[in-house]
Amino acid sequence: MSLFTYQLKQAYSGLKQKPGFVFSVVSTMGITLGALLCVLTLNYLLLLEPLPYPEQERIFVAQHHIIDAKKETQKVAFSYPGLVELYKSRVAFEQSAMLYYSQDVITSHRNQPLVNTTYVTPELHQILASPMALGRMFEASEALNTNSPVAMLSYVTWQQAYEGRADILHLKINIRGVSYQVIGVLAENFVEPELAEIGRETQVWLPWDFNVESAESRYNFGNIQNNFHFIGQLKKSVNQSQAQQLITPLVSELWQEKFVAKFDFFQGWSVDMRVRSVKNIMLGESKSFAVMLLAGIVGLVLIACANIANLFMSRTAEKHRQMSIQAAIGATKKQLFSAMLAETSLLMLMAIIFALVIAKTGFYLMQQYLGALLPRVNELSLNLITFGSALLITAILALFFAKLTTNMINYRGLNTTLQSSGKGSGLQVSKKTRQILIASQVALATLLVFANISLLKNAMRTINAPIGFSTNNISTLVLNLSSTQAYSQEDAIPTMAEIMTKLEALPQVESVAQGNSPLGGFGIKALTKSTGNKKYTPYFKRVDQRYFNMIEQPLLQGENFTIIDRRDNNNKMIVNQAFAQQLKADGAVIGMLLPSIGEPDFKIVGIVKDITIPGDTAFGSDDTAASVPRVYAPSGLSGRSFMLKFKPGQSVSRQQLAALLAKIDSRYSVFSFNKISDNLNQRLFTEITTAIATAMLALITFLLAGIGLYGILSYSTQMRRLELGTRMAVGAKRHDLTLMIIKDNVNPIVLGVLLSLITLVSGYFFFIDALSFYITSQLIPMFAVTIFLISSLSLLVCYLPLRKIINLPAINSLRGTE
Amino acid sequence: MTTALLTMKKISKVFETEELETHALKDISFTINKGDYVSISGPSGCGKSTLLSIMGLLDVSTTGEYFIEGVNVTDLTLDQAAEVRNAKIGFIFQSFNLIDELSVFDNVALPLRYSSEKPNSKKIKQRVTQCLEQVGLSHRIAHKPNQLSGGQQQRVAIARALVAEPAILLVDEPTGNLDSKSGDLVMDVLEKLNESGTTICMVTHDPRYADMAKTKIQLLDGTILQAPLVKIAS
Ligand SMILES: Nc1ncnc2c1ncn2[C@@H]1O[C@H](COP(=O)(O)OP(=O)(O)OP(=O)(O)O)[C@@H](O)[C@H]1O
Ligand SMILES: [Mg+2]
Repeated sequence: MSLFTYQLKQAYSGLKQKPGFVFSVVSTMGITLGALLCVLTLNYLLLLEPLPYPEQERIFVAQHHIIDAKKETQKVAFSYPGLVELYKSRVAFEQSAMLYYSQDVITSHRNQPLVNTTYVTPELHQILASPMALGRMFEASEALNTNSPVAMLSYVTWQQAYEGRADILHLKINIRGVSYQVIGVLAENFVEPELAEIGRETQVWLPWDFNVESAESRYNFGNIQNNFHFIGQLKKSVNQSQAQQLITPLVSELWQEKFVAKFDFFQGWSVDMRVRSVKNIMLGESKSFAVMLLAGIVGLVLIACANIANLFMSRTAEKHRQMSIQAAIGATKKQLFSAMLAETSLLMLMAIIFALVIAKTGFYLMQQYLGALLPRVNELSLNLITFGSALLITAILALFFAKLTTNMINYRGLNTTLQSSGKGSGLQVSKKTRQILIASQVALATLLVFANISLLKNAMRTINAPIGFSTNNISTLVLNLSSTQAYSQEDAIPTMAEIMTKLEALPQVESVAQGNSPLGGFGIKALTKSTGNKKYTPYFKRVDQRYFNMIEQPLLQGENFTIIDRRDNNNKMIVNQAFAQQLKADGAVIGMLLPSIGEPDFKIVGIVKDITIPGDTAFGSDDTAASVPRVYAPSGLSGRSFMLKFKPGQSVSRQQLAALLAKIDSRYSVFSFNKISDNLNQRLFTEITTAIATAMLALITFLLAGIGLYGILSYSTQMRRLELGTRMAVGAKRHDLTLMIIKDNVNPIVLGVLLSLITLVSGYFFFIDALSFYITSQLIPMFAVTIFLISSLSLLVCYLPLRKIINLPAINSLRGTE
Repeated sequence: MTTALLTMKKISKVFETEELETHALKDISFTINKGDYVSISGPSGCGKSTLLSIMGLLDVSTTGEYFIEGVNVTDLTLDQAAEVRNAKIGFIFQSFNLIDELSVFDNVALPLRYSSEKPNSKKIKQRVTQCLEQVGLSHRIAHKPNQLSGGQQQRVAIARALVAEPAILLVDEPTGNLDSKSGDLVMDVLEKLNESGTTICMVTHDPRYADMAKTKIQLLDGTILQAPLVKIAS
């Protein structure tokens, strides 16, 4: 051991003289290992670490799949009464809870903040054993139909919106005209199950009874929305598939009887219940995302290792003479190895310390920027797994590099090194080793760059897809009504008209429309064709007479709605091209009548151009490329959503709007006020993040591979200097030598590309299911682009080290070649 | 029959490094005629190798003019110089400079592969065998250089220098790395070549070998000390 300490000291003083070498090793390995530790910890958290709930393996989510007559899933969402009936039945589940996700404004708060609310039955927090910071969680007193107006706050809401005030449990908060007594604050370490949307955190929990569904819609089996959720703890005697079999008939039969039986349109439709573990639901796609990220980073680490291996080998070649002297004075092979190990250990230790800093930074960045993409990122921290893997990686790499370099040394040959003059007797990294390094670098780089640019291309396609409407200077304003009194729509009409007028009078405003932003407000409409009884389910939205004009969605044929259509509730319809073509191949559908359920037939009066909303697919389809059929009907006059188009460069503040509303009718406040372009960017968040991340990864891979290949090739070119000089002496021209170096390296480069191709093809066969989403014929040109990039890079790094030799008189290479 | 093959006019060479300038050659002027056998000698560091590399277009002079067969080759591009080297000049180095990975055959054939005449493989084979016969090594054609003795390696190098039928052989200390017996053998080969008409210019330390030359150039500190038999170009 004391020898090793001595050797560590020796290694330390040796490395001090080589700051460039130390910098290259520590920075390359530090950055890549940092990324590796980061995604390793993430993968452990997502794949292996149990959720922080008692008996989490018994917690399941039930999903309501609506199956059409063709046995295809049309939608995954509960009907309101269907959910309540399942909850009441207590079949299969020992305990279960209903959740209703929404957003509301806390009107009692001076800032009137818009918060995420979840209306929930008390069992949820009991199943999760949610830790509390203050007060109590919902109990039997808040059970279904108790109508007890109490609220629980999240820790962050308590801290941020209420500055952590100590008397929070004496506070009442007002939401939608109901005053709720705050009875508890969840603990900081409470982890909310993300059932609907990754990264959504409930800020205020309210009892189920207060959810915003009207009394009427609570009995409507056609009220199907994806913000209704069911979670429960399975009975000990029931497993997942039994649970599915138990609850499916229960829900399905009810739906058949109460809904399907009433409407011809839904003949043959049914419900299929799926039971999935809560972990599965939360992780969803993220699991494969995390694994792919891990694979990418492992590739990067391997490229980095190949680079560093080359550096170590070159350094050994350099140190060969020193080692010969040590061998001559009696150092054994084992001692040489341990001296080498001392050096590699020291370097890897420095690298891993740097890596831990990088990993910590990585956690922070993920929490800041990827909270909406990846579940559970808030739980990320440097833990036992991180430190354990760091230690293991350090040990493995130190041993690997030490072994690799000592294996290069021909121990018996060390003495002859000493005997020879030292000229031209240097140890060389063998041609085979060099070629293996080149081939593996090229293979890894091709795979990684290909994967990244394919993902990048996909993301860019979505980001750059023309949306077909304008978002310029348009904001949406949604009003919040805080009143519990029954309030008919008729009563709202004059108020809304007044609000419109006042808004239009604002000097900053160019025009106002009543209705939702083009990004939202679409539902599904069940329509049939009067001839032939064919069924359609286009997206449906009610709009006013100014809507298409404001968002510059062109009306191609026919006419727009009028204010009279809106006032008289005329069943007119404007359809988009995609739907017109579904109805009739030639798209000539003006005047056509479309029967709908429970209302007069719609008459088509106009055709508008298609729009593309990022991520939207036609109902029951997941083809993101196909255009989505949409239909529009005149909206009523009482809606509480507006679109404001501002004059260029102008806007108003939320406060200004609040003041304006307060003067007209104090029951109305601002619910939300957003730029449409911001909403659009939010919708594209995944794509934008993916684009940035993949572009960066591709670039880093490319750079790393470039540096590595350059290292290998410049070393081997340097070794061949005398040979190149000789060739020049006998008349080789510059292009002769360039071609020769390229020819010499083309084999490992081609081999590398082939290896990557084989890996891709076999990956395709093994993981065809997981990857099918990504695999399109688009990939072939992408692969060609990748090969082009990598080959150009390889050619460039073949040429660069050569440049210094062939662009100078031959004598420079013939002289001084040590 | 005295045709001028190489003519140097006031050739100087200055090496500039960060700290100092070295005047390796100062105003060197001389002519070498067809069929000549010239030796260049002088103390170490006097500029012999520098002169030879300028003669062989491996390096460029700082000032002065240089003609090969009457053509001014002072300001050639790198590729033009390579072409001239290939066609007109054969090099023999002190440390042989054979390429380890290539067989004897391929080493010798190397200049033909870079030739602008692009001889076919039959022609190459014929020429390579002929040259190896001249140096007495036709039985070692498939060997790798490191399977040969030093003297044999130097003879392979001579064969390589001859293969493209150059106008002149430039030889730098051909025996420096050889024992005297192998050295003598190499010198025999050179002498025979000269007898059969090859022009040779050779740098050597060894007065014995220098005396074998018809013309002797003595260098001292970058200047020609004594060249009684050399026609100084006007
Ligand atoms: N690349 C260079 N940079 C700087 N100085 C150089 C360079 N090459 C040669 N010299 C200097 O030029 C002078 C002549 O060198 P050269 O190699 O021609 O000598 P030489 O006569 O061949 O010696 P030797 O008999 O030892 O081979 C020397 O003083 C040498 O130091
Ligand atoms: Mg010399």
